[in-house]
Amino acid sequence: MIQFENVTRRYGQTVAVSGLTLTVDRGEVVALLGPNGAGKTTAIRVLVGLLRPDEGAVRLCGCDAVEQPRRAIRSVGYVPEDPFLYEKLSGREFLEFAAEMHGLDRATVRQRIARETERFDLGGFLGDLTETYSHGMKQRLVFASALLHDPAVLVVDEPTVGLDPWSVRVVKDLLRSQAAAGGAVLMSTHTLSLAEEIADRIGVLRGGRLRFLGSLPDLRRELAAPGAPLEPLFLELTKTDGERSKDEG
Amino acid sequence: MTPSTTSPAGDPPPSAENEARGFRRLEARILRTVLWQTFSSSRLRVGVLLGLSAVLWGGLFAVGYEGFGFLRSTISHPMYEEVVRALFSTFFLWLLLMLLFSSALILYGSLFRSREVVMLLTLPVRPERIFLHKLQEAAVLSSWGFLLLGSPMLLAYGIVAEAPWYYYATLLPLLLAFVSIPVSVGAMLCLEAMYRVPSRRALVVALAGVGLVAAMVWFAAGLLLRPESDLMTIHWFRDMLGRLELTEQRLLPNWWLSSGLLEAAEGTWSEGVMFLALLVANALFCRELAVWLAARRYRRAYSRVSGAGGGRRRAWFAWLDTLTSAALAPLPRTVRLMLLKDLRLFRRDPLQWSQFLILFTLLGLYSVNVHPFQSAINYSGWVSMVSFMNLCVVGLLMATFTTRFVFPMISLEGRRLWLLSLLPLRRETILWSKFLFSAGSLWVPCGLLVLLSDWTLRVSPAVHANHQATCAVLVLGLSGIAVGLGARLPNLREASPSRIAAGFGGTLNLVLGTLYILLVAGLMALPCHFQFVAQSAKPNLPLEEFSPLGPWLRLWLVGGTLGSVLLGAAATALPLWLGLRAFRRLEY
Repeated sequence: MIQFENVTRRYGQTVAVSGLTLTVDRGEVVALLGPNGAGKTTAIRVLVGLLRPDEGAVRLCGCDAVEQPRRAIRSVGYVPEDPFLYEKLSGREFLEFAAEMHGLDRATVRQRIARETERFDLGGFLGDLTETYSHGMKQRLVFASALLHDPAVLVVDEPTVGLDPWSVRVVKDLLRSQAAAGGAVLMSTHTLSLAEEIADRIGVLRGGRLRFLGSLPDLRRELAAPGAPLEPLFLELTKTDGERSKDEG
Repeated sequence: MTPSTTSPAGDPPPSAENEARGFRRLEARILRTVLWQTFSSSRLRVGVLLGLSAVLWGGLFAVGYEGFGFLRSTISHPMYEEVVRALFSTFFLWLLLMLLFSSALILYGSLFRSREVVMLLTLPVRPERIFLHKLQEAAVLSSWGFLLLGSPMLLAYGIVAEAPWYYYATLLPLLLAFVSIPVSVGAMLCLEAMYRVPSRRALVVALAGVGLVAAMVWFAAGLLLRPESDLMTIHWFRDMLGRLELTEQRLLPNWWLSSGLLEAAEGTWSEGVMFLALLVANALFCRELAVWLAARRYRRAYSRVSGAGGGRRRAWFAWLDTLTSAALAPLPRTVRLMLLKDLRLFRRDPLQWSQFLILFTLLGLYSVNVHPFQSAINYSGWVSMVSFMNLCVVGLLMATFTTRFVFPMISLEGRRLWLLSLLPLRRETILWSKFLFSAGSLWVPCGLLVLLSDWTLRVSPAVHANHQATCAVLVLGLSGIAVGLGARLPNLREASPSRIAAGFGGTLNLVLGTLYILLVAGLMALPCHFQFVAQSAKPNLPLEEFSPLGPWLRLWLVGGTLGSVLLGAAATALPLWLGLRAFRRLEY
């Protein structure tokens, strides 16, 4: 459902993503990990149509994200790390706007908003202006808006930053249930425990290149560290050459 | 909940009409909330703002009415129309260029740098719809000042010209159609520039700014650097009209607008309606062209701009900081550091300093080019009047500067208050540093501009001293008003200085600043001008016998000077005191 085919994207002279090839199938949660500047957010921005790849292609449910951006985007629910909300709209008005842009009719909009309100427990503040929301309330509203149109693909950038434990649990359950229902989930995160807990496969980026793609047991096998938690494996995989030679020295 | 399909063809996408309706509803809801919040929580503020705006509007109307009345009574019938046409064409031509430039700049920020478009581009919205949404916003932001300040002048002209009712009926449609042409063209230029040369966008802005200034220099030189003739004679008028022909190109919208207004005012309604139709047709054509371009370019341009300018950016001109720090050595260390920080931020933001530079360059060029007039002005009263008007123009420039650059500073600082509050820094220091930044950066260029203008006009030393003192009083008062109001009415939610300046507080600052300038100029510089006129006209006649105003002139001169010094002290201290009280209570 998500296909990166040899995608390269540059910022001026800097190569942010280099030759990325990655597929996320239906029913799968894939976590993109990597140090700051590894290219995770760039890959996601290419996927949701904000950036065009300099080389390669990106497909969403078979649609080319460059050639048919509107059609491709319709299959995606996107939750950015720092989402934008209209401060002078209430949560309900924001959801109505997002639903309307997805082409939902009025009856469906009402029904879906009621569904997401219940799922994310938005009822207590949905009528308030979003300028009064806490970070957690905003994040829940953005998740609700991303799921209004029942997207086949859910793309989330740092989904649990700033959330309270209750909201983190809701998000984890949501990502798993989305995959269980046949959707594809791609998330970028620095929270290794989150990836360890819910991801079917892990992609580790460093310097724009995909250093590893597979399940946690695959990673353990590759680094010959049976039973090791993700953190030491990740640190080993993302060491710079200087750090590596220092260790060897 | 289940993901609907494995392909994106679930619900059909909204039609263009439904999409437009959705955006209209969004804009209406936001507007309704903003109005409701404004009128329910700050009626007094709105009342004061509306009242002051009405006073300003009325003042401009009076100036326009007197000005057109004077022209009509001074100049004979056919030439009067020619003079007004030349005035309108020139004014609207510069407006056309300024609107084009400002809309392109505003659209760059809103189409390529705002967080809202990131959200909109990840929804299945047509790119041309996002573009239109932002185009309308840019049109309002770049032209509201023109509509507010231009309308009294045009109404005054209609009344003086005894225009029929349809002049007033077509006024607003004419102005709206005119405004939308440069806004659409500016939008297209912005889109093309970001699409073609995304990594050189700063250079594009700089070149456009330089081009605009060069055009103005060329125009000013063509207007002024020619053999002079006696002022206010028929020959002089004919000569000036000939020089202004440049602004009356038949293919430019400024000529269509001035022709539409003049024809409607003269009672030839069919001609007026024809020019209105011409403007509307061109406005719609430009809009459609811009939308067509946006549909093809916007997403690509956004991607290119986002991908341009990667890599490291070095902080240049460290020697400038060393020099500034040495110059500011007498100040307390904390104030010095705050000032250095503000100067660095200002210097590294081309959008900020380019506007500052354009404004001051234009005025500087104007001041230099006043020189040829000096020899033509054989009536010394005109010399004094021109120098007095120049002082007022510099004052208005200061008010614009403090509104655009100084007023938003506290709001922007408020967003960093979490950091500043943790430093061993008193809040008074923050406020004083802003005041010093404003006063220091205004006093030197404005004082020089006034000096340059007075020097080229060869005014007497007494007038020099009077104008410099007036300039100082204006700088201190305007800085106090801007910093104080900025602290009293901060907008901590907005990150864009231009949007902060366009809000309630910024508008109030501009209105109060303008009133302050009029008061100080009226109290301090105007009596000096009258006395100069009186003395130069009849040097041996006692002042009291020169005119009915004579006995009161000396009192006005002395009392006005004292009064304006007191007014300046109050305008400096009172807003700062009010601002400081509010700023101390500000939480983050």
